[in-house]
Amino acid sequence: MLVAGGTSIGVLLKNRLIEPEVLVYLGHVPNLTAISEQPDGALRLGSMATLRDIARSPLAASEAPSLVAAAEKVGNPRVRAVATIGGAIVHGDPRQDVPPVMLALGAVVTVQGPRGTREIPMSEFLTGFMESAVEDDEIVLSVEVPSRRNRREAYTRFTPNSEDDYPTVGVAASLRISATGEVEDALIALGGVDSHAIAVAEAGSVLVGSRMEQSDIERAAQIASLIAEPSDDSRGSESYKRSMIEVCTRRTLVACLEQ
Amino acid sequence: MELRFTLNGEETSVEADGQTLLVDAIRGLGSTGTKEGCGVGVCGLCTVLVDELPVSSCIYLALCAEGRTVYTVEGLTAREPDLLDAFVGEEGMQCGICTPGHVVSTYALKQDHPSATPEEIRHYMAGNLCRCTGYQTILAAVQAYLG
Repeated sequence: MLVAGGTSIGVLLKNRLIEPEVLVYLGHVPNLTAISEQPDGALRLGSMATLRDIARSPLAASEAPSLVAAAEKVGNPRVRAVATIGGAIVHGDPRQDVPPVMLALGAVVTVQGPRGTREIPMSEFLTGFMESAVEDDEIVLSVEVPSRRNRREAYTRFTPNSEDDYPTVGVAASLRISATGEVEDALIALGGVDSHAIAVAEAGSVLVGSRMEQSDIERAAQIASLIAEPSDDSRGSESYKRSMIEVCTRRTLVACLEQ
Repeated sequence: MELRFTLNGEETSVEADGQTLLVDAIRGLGSTGTKEGCGVGVCGLCTVLVDELPVSSCIYLALCAEGRTVYTVEGLTAREPDLLDAFVGEEGMQCGICTPGHVVSTYALKQDHPSATPEEIRHYMAGNLCRCTGYQTILAAVQAYLG
């Protein structure tokens, strides 16, 4: 089992939820931490770039501000100091902030193993509860966020319990609006409300072609709340979470509109 | 396996396996200033610095500290007397169990946000819990240290 930041693995080991035979620590492997701009304008994040690195990166702030907004709020400073972007998406904890943002940004993950190197779009990456498309003998090298161009993006985390808690609901959105005011593309993703972070494609697609009027935003928010399948838990009942999905989706879309 | 790292400025080695946690390695070496509270990285009692960054030593695998520089409250306050002075001067403690974690986090806060506003201080320190003080004197100590 690979150890990146180790924050999730430490807890899983203590609770005996995993029993790896071998642990391989990636902390001294070179060339996995860089945050850089690619020739086509994409933002490449090395899999071992920490959430703190991302939160403090001026490049990330200008190219993927919703990711910075998520990264700088995860947990507490001790988590952010060591937790990595690669670990966040591979671990696939449905409660976490980063995966829905990567879904909404249409990120692409580069994975390497004995059979070669492959690219997996985020839409195919999260396959189940704490499961990803990465095979046991593969490692995530990097994640690329497509070039921002005129992308508007936002992330809303709703944490009614405490600052450092997982969000009850996390909503990430990205969209582009044409010069004449019509939505060209829109992606909305939710965290904390299903077995893994989910893209709510139908909510995004009702916005395409619209002018993002209040009624369009409300319709998209309502659709998002109906698609998700949240469970009752200590962070809220199913109905409460559905209501909060609607509220937070609306807020996230408005935040995009106001950019 | 034998793990080698620098603890409070001194080269150290400790016998560990893949599941040894840093807090146990540190306390096993006699540096008992670092405490363990919740055991899952939430309360902040176990905060230490690894390569100048704060980590929850109760969930930090000791193997990840191989070759790295670790500072606990003992070594950090020896290195940074102003830090200790601020907490003593503002009486930023009662029972003291959370104090080592708060002290280490305060140092980390100053490194990352030397001009933090009171609101930013509260957000940063939200990851360190205290059951005694109600936080006012702790925040005053942090403010005093930031200057």
